[in-house]
Amino acid sequence: MTTLTLLWIGFPFLIGFLIYLLPKLDRYLGLLGALASAAFAVQLFVAQTPLNLRLLDHFGVSLVLDPLTGFFILTNALVTAAVIFYCWRSDKTPFFFAQTLILHGSVNAAFACADFISLYVALEVLSIAAFLLIAYPRSDRSIWVGLRYLFVSNVAMLFYLVGAVLVYKADHSFDFAGLRGAPPEAIALILMGLLAKGGIFVLGLWLPLTHSESESPVSALMSGVVVKAGVLPLVRCALLLPEIDPIVRIFGVGTALLGVVYGVFEKDTKRILAFSTVSQLGFILAAPEVSGFYALTHGLVKSALFLIAGLLPSRSLQELQHQPIHRPLWIALVIASFSISGFPLLSGFGAKILTMKNLVPWQVIGMNVAALGTAILFAKFIFLPHKTLAEDQRPALTWGFWAAMVLLLGGLFGANVVYYKAYSVENIAKPLATIALGWLAYWLVFRQLAVKLPRLLEQFEHLIGMMILSLILLFWMVLA
Amino acid sequence: MLEAFVFATILCGFFGILLKQNLVMKIISMDVMSTGVIAYYVVIAARTGLFTPIVYKNQPLAYADPVPQAVILTAIVIGFSIQALMLVGVIKLSRDNPTLESSEIEKSNTP
Repeated sequence: MTTLTLLWIGFPFLIGFLIYLLPKLDRYLGLLGALASAAFAVQLFVAQTPLNLRLLDHFGVSLVLDPLTGFFILTNALVTAAVIFYCWRSDKTPFFFAQTLILHGSVNAAFACADFISLYVALEVLSIAAFLLIAYPRSDRSIWVGLRYLFVSNVAMLFYLVGAVLVYKADHSFDFAGLRGAPPEAIALILMGLLAKGGIFVLGLWLPLTHSESESPVSALMSGVVVKAGVLPLVRCALLLPEIDPIVRIFGVGTALLGVVYGVFEKDTKRILAFSTVSQLGFILAAPEVSGFYALTHGLVKSALFLIAGLLPSRSLQELQHQPIHRPLWIALVIASFSISGFPLLSGFGAKILTMKNLVPWQVIGMNVAALGTAILFAKFIFLPHKTLAEDQRPALTWGFWAAMVLLLGGLFGANVVYYKAYSVENIAKPLATIALGWLAYWLVFRQLAVKLPRLLEQFEHLIGMMILSLILLFWMVLA
Repeated sequence: MLEAFVFATILCGFFGILLKQNLVMKIISMDVMSTGVIAYYVVIAARTGLFTPIVYKNQPLAYADPVPQAVILTAIVIGFSIQALMLVGVIKLSRDNPTLESSEIEKSNTP
C-alpha cells in the first residue's frame, strides 16, 4: 500500500515530464494521469481505513490518506480530466498539458501530506505551475495577474515558514499534530499562510481577479481544485485541534458572507463565479467534519460553470440580457446553477444539507444568509434569455466540451449516493424556500440594481498589507 | 538578540514589498524577506550548539540541529526558482512598461 501511494504521488509528475518527450500523445497521457488519480481515490473509499504513512523518522514526511482526502483527490481527478477534454480540440501546446499534469500532481501531494514542510513544498510547486498556466497566453495582462498571484502566495508562504519552524522549536517535528503545543504566534502565522493560499476572507481577495482574468480552463482548474489545496490542511488542523476549530468556522462564515456580498453587486460573469468561489469555500470551512463532500460538489460545479462561461458570447451580464445564448449551453448552465443553489436531485443539495446539519448554533444565521445570497447570485445566470441559435451563430460546442459536461454534471447527479438520506420532506422544503426567496429578491431588487463596490482591497499593495492586519487579528483570536 | 535582527530583516523585506514602487525592487525585497526567514531557521538550528553534525571519533560536541537546516535548503531552492521565474515575467512586462512601476502596470492591466 505504501508503494502504491508513493507511485500515485509521483505518477502525475512523471506523466507531466513524459508529455515533453512524447508531445504527440499529450492529451492521452494527461487523461491517463487523471484517471490514475480517480482510481486511487476510489480505492480509498473502498478501503475506508485511514492510512498514516510516516516516511523516514519523525522528522520525515508524513502522509494521511483517508476518505476525506479521497473526496478531494476525486475532485482533482475529475476536474483535470474535464479540463483536458475541454481543451482536446483547442490549439493548446503540449506545454499546457504538461503544466496541467504537474499542477494536478502538486495538488494531490498537498492533499496527502500531513506535515508542514511537505505541504510547503507541494504548495510552492503548485504556485509555480499555476503561474505558468495563468501566464500561458503571454499577454501583458496575464503575466501581471500571474505575477501578482505568485507574489501574494510567496509572501504568505514565507510567513507560513516562520510558523512552521516555531512549531518545530516547540515539538521537534513538523507534523500537523505538533500544532498542539505550539505558541500562539506559530498558529497565527501558519493559519495566515493557509488562509491566503486558500483564498479565504479578506486574505483571499487576490482570487477574483486571478480567476476571472485567466483563460476558462485555467479558471476551472484554479477554482475547482487549486484553492482547495490551502483549504484541506486548514480542515485537517481544525479536526485535529479543538482550539483551532472555532477560528476556522468563524473564517468560514466570514468568507461565505463576504463572497456573496461582493458577488450580488457584480455584473461580470467570471467575476461573479470567482466571488462565488470565495463564498463556497466558506461553506467547506464552516463544517470541517463534512467538508469533503462539499468540496467535491463545489469543485465539479464551479469548474463546469467556468467552462461554460468561457463559451458565452460576452462576459458582461448586461449584454447577455439582450443577446440570447444557445439553448443546449443554457441547459448545462442551468443544471450547474441549480446544483450550486442547492436544488434537490443534484448533489449540491445533499452537500448543503449535510453542511447545515453540522453547523454550531451561532453559525446558522450567517450560513443561511450566505445560501440565500448564492441563490440570488445564480438567479442571474438562470434567468438569462436563451433560444436555439442558427447554425452560424452558435458557439463551437465540440464533443470535448460535452464530454467535460457529462463528466462534471454527471458527477453531480452521481454524487447524490453519498448522502441519499438528505431526501426527506423538511430537508427538501427548506432549500426550495431559500431558492424561491432568492429569486424573488433577484427580480425585485438585484436585477435593476447598479451599485459598483469599490475594488480598493483588491489592489496589490492592499493585498500584501492585509496580511499583516490578518496576522494580528489571528494572533488575538488564537490567544483568546 | 540574533532573533531580533532576524525579525528586523523579515520586516524590512516585507515593508520593502509594500513601499517600493518598482517591480524589480519588490522582488529584491521579497528576497530580503526570505533571507530573513532562512536566517531564522539557522538561528533555531543553532540553539543546541554550533558544530556541524558530523560523527567525530571521541569528543561529544554540542551539535547544531540538522533538521531545520536540511529543510530550509529546500526552501532556498524553491525561493530562488520562484524569483527567477518572476524576473522572467518582469522582463516580459518591461517591454511595454519600461518604468516597471507596479501601480502603473496594475492600472493598465485591471479591467
